[in-house]
Amino acid sequence: MNIKILDSWLREYLTTDAKPKEIAKNLSLTSISIERTEKWQSDLLYDIEVTTNRPDLMSVVGLAREAAAVLPQFHTKAIFHAPKLTTPVKQEKGDIKFRIKNDPKLVDRICAVVMEVNVKTSPKLIKDRLESTEIRSLNNLIDITNYVMRTIGHPTHVFDFDRLETESLTIRESKKDEVIETLDGKEYVLQGGDIVAEDQNGRIVDLLGIMGLKNSVVTEQTKRILFFIDNMNPKKIRKSSMSLGIRSEAAQLNEKGVDPELAYDALLFGIQLYKELAEGKIVSEIIDIYPNKPKERTITVTDEKIQTVIGVTIPLTKAEDILRSLGFSVQATKTSVSAKVPSWRASEMEIGEDLIEEIARVYGYHNLPSLLPPLVSDEPLQISRDPFFWETRVKHMLKYWGFTEIYTYSMVAEELLEGPLNEAVILRNPLDEDHVYMRKTLVPSMLQVLSENKAYKNVRLFEIANVYEKNGKNLPIERRKLAGIIKHSHASFYDVKGIVEQLGADLGIRFSFKAAKELVGADVYLEKENIGTIEELDDEIINFELNFETIIAHATLRKKFTPLSKYPAIIEDLALTVDAETPTGEIIDEIKKQSPLIRDVSLLDKYKNKRTFHIVYQSDTKNLSNEEVAEIREKILATLQKSQ
Amino acid sequence: MEHELMNIKNNAVSLILETKSREEVEETRVQFLGRNGTLTQAMKEIATLPKEERPEVGKLANEIKEIIEQMLTDRASSLASEKTSSKASTLDVTEPGVKPPLGHLHLITQAIEEITGIFSHLGFTKVRYPEIEWDYYGFTALNFPDDHPARDDWETFFIRQEPDIKKGGVILTPHTSSGQVREMERHVAMNPKDINIKMLNIAKCYRRQSDVSHTQMFHQFEGLVVGEGISITHLKGTLDYFVKSYFGPNRVSRIRPYHFQFTEPSFEVDVSCGVCNGKGCRLCKEGWLEMGGSGMVHPNVLKYGGIDPKKYTGFAFGWGVERVLMMKEGIEIDDLRLLYSNNLEFLEQF
Repeated sequence: MNIKILDSWLREYLTTDAKPKEIAKNLSLTSISIERTEKWQSDLLYDIEVTTNRPDLMSVVGLAREAAAVLPQFHTKAIFHAPKLTTPVKQEKGDIKFRIKNDPKLVDRICAVVMEVNVKTSPKLIKDRLESTEIRSLNNLIDITNYVMRTIGHPTHVFDFDRLETESLTIRESKKDEVIETLDGKEYVLQGGDIVAEDQNGRIVDLLGIMGLKNSVVTEQTKRILFFIDNMNPKKIRKSSMSLGIRSEAAQLNEKGVDPELAYDALLFGIQLYKELAEGKIVSEIIDIYPNKPKERTITVTDEKIQTVIGVTIPLTKAEDILRSLGFSVQATKTSVSAKVPSWRASEMEIGEDLIEEIARVYGYHNLPSLLPPLVSDEPLQISRDPFFWETRVKHMLKYWGFTEIYTYSMVAEELLEGPLNEAVILRNPLDEDHVYMRKTLVPSMLQVLSENKAYKNVRLFEIANVYEKNGKNLPIERRKLAGIIKHSHASFYDVKGIVEQLGADLGIRFSFKAAKELVGADVYLEKENIGTIEELDDEIINFELNFETIIAHATLRKKFTPLSKYPAIIEDLALTVDAETPTGEIIDEIKKQSPLIRDVSLLDKYKNKRTFHIVYQSDTKNLSNEEVAEIREKILATLQKSQ
Repeated sequence: MEHELMNIKNNAVSLILETKSREEVEETRVQFLGRNGTLTQAMKEIATLPKEERPEVGKLANEIKEIIEQMLTDRASSLASEKTSSKASTLDVTEPGVKPPLGHLHLITQAIEEITGIFSHLGFTKVRYPEIEWDYYGFTALNFPDDHPARDDWETFFIRQEPDIKKGGVILTPHTSSGQVREMERHVAMNPKDINIKMLNIAKCYRRQSDVSHTQMFHQFEGLVVGEGISITHLKGTLDYFVKSYFGPNRVSRIRPYHFQFTEPSFEVDVSCGVCNGKGCRLCKEGWLEMGGSGMVHPNVLKYGGIDPKKYTGFAFGWGVERVLMMKEGIEIDDLRLLYSNNLEFLEQF
């Protein structure tokens, strides 16, 4: 969450020699990130990113206090001036009786007061400061609530007391379907469980911690106000704010947990401002209901642990100084330091490591050396069993065969999901309807990519990614798949089959292919396992999808040496007349069976029922004579040649 | 006899110079030096000369033979080079070559390979863990409280499935950190007495956001180092090594305080801007670009992994692959969603 603060505003609570650029740089290094400094009129504006664990820095006072703690580490003087707040004396208080019935389960602290005021525009300083911090100036009554929030760090609210028409407010949880209209005129139907205040007539008058309501907001006619500061359960605020979609500044602060100790400061500061800027006069008792005071916490950490985590020796006295500067009360022994956490850090400081973080960051991460961790691994590297090795190899192989790699989403729309819906892994809270189902196959996504790139006539694509399968009560099964697609005119099944075969050849495995039953193409087998398919979609598009895990489980780097043959091969092309339907693979197998001297058989040509094979004969032990080859040839012809 | 030999020589020289091809050169060689060649025949006749003349004439004949052989060789090679130069005049080297196929690896793959190479060099072991994961590994074991905003339906994708009593609901991993406790468990199972983890986990992650700088699916790379005496200084060293290796020796890095549930202390990591060299420009924040989060592993996370936080410490980081890719010079892609658009005009650029 970002906050913008003027340099002059910060310096109202901070005296330092540090120039704005130094403040920005040094706070970024040791505290919170000041992402930019920009000119604002004659002033300078800090744009600050406050992390969710530091709501105490969402205010000018908080930032000044932090700056005063860390700047001296850079040898610049810095002193924090806490705001001067005075408690109203007794005779100031009026006789209006006003009661708040709190539910301690919902709200930790409420501070409130009724005041008579004059509504008008705010002075230029207030308007400018609010505008610079990106809050719209409306009138003095509302501006003061925002000004207090930005200065002290606690959200505040102001009601038109006369529009409340009540002498009491009751804090309760909303019921489902109650309707409210927020001060910006928007209507919301509540889900139930939101923290609301109702008046004695049962009318909801505030959505606590998030936004005021139209029915009780101050107007140009307001004469009396109820200035109201509520500190409550951050979780409930987050839930209401997110589900209603009201992301007000107050909500974003409250959901991070604001220090309840600040509530009273905010009240006093507000009263002071109403007096100064709205001729304010207190007309009621000051209400301070504080059922849930946070417990004080003391954390102890040993010297040894500090050195281990940070990696260098930081003297314990130095650690003490740092913690003290940040508002901790510190006690130290020779070997450890105990620190009592200040109220504004109570929500996030729990363990020794939290203290170490404070010590290390203020000491300065930039002051620590950079060392490489020791090189220790007792896990042997077995490259041939490393899936990443094979994945890289296959990707490069495909790249050099002209394939372009794509990354498509794991979640797909219903029309891209193959198989029945009830077997799919489904997102409960998809962001849009195109990304709802965890895909079971990769090819549909590839076809979509093809259709989105229609202008390309010659395309080769591939992807390696997981597909997902429901697995009862267990985690869904993730299977890694390799899919590819080729598109060009007169594409052939054999183009893709060749790719799959060569891929196998490089990985040291041999696939077999059987005609697929439900599509035009082949089922691909590795040993007895069906590991995927090659599918001919039409004359142009042919795809394949293979189970990549099985493939790499069989992939091997093992090489076998066969002694080089001392005797030349005899090569001949042999034409056979066969049944046109007989698969070539079967004929080749049959030819090979005829003699161990047949080294290799490949199909050279095919026309109707004629097939020409390229046959290599070779012996390891002698020169083959023409007679020996003729004998084998006769055997082949006798077995395979179909008499015409 | 000498006269006859000189005639043969002159005759041969003029014929050799007239040859137009290697075939003609070969014919000439046969004509003079072949079994029945003129010179061969003449040399046979030397035996019929008076004994005292033979040495002198023999010597001359051998000289002539050498000269002819030399000239034949020279002529053959000069004819060959004439042929080459005539071919050179018809070869147009500006015509396009016949190219072998060359496809393209996705930018993400290229980045992952580079990142993997750098960390392998430092002895990190690459692992892979589920993308669809128990809430336990994604959040609980990473020290996220039950009501942490990241566990909201607004930020993390949930799978429609009955939650497990122990491990909670099923999520799409919003970060690679979900591999941390799984990796710790793997090491504890292997060797509980001596924990030495150096993990690199690069994986798809998913979050419920989509705009110019976010895609619902993205990639992170996670480093986890756990051992005795691992400190912030080691994190800084690893980070510096990565930044100089990946972005170049002129880029520098820094860590500054931040907040994450699963690390304590936590850091945001910045890299000096490659465009302005750290001076500050439109693209960066006061000279720095945010790379991602890191920190010392929270003792609760070590405990969830079965590792004693009194004995061991560790650091972890998880950075976006897309993010570091965009931070590289030359790849200033203005809309991250382009990476997953699978527009071929885009993909074929890399």
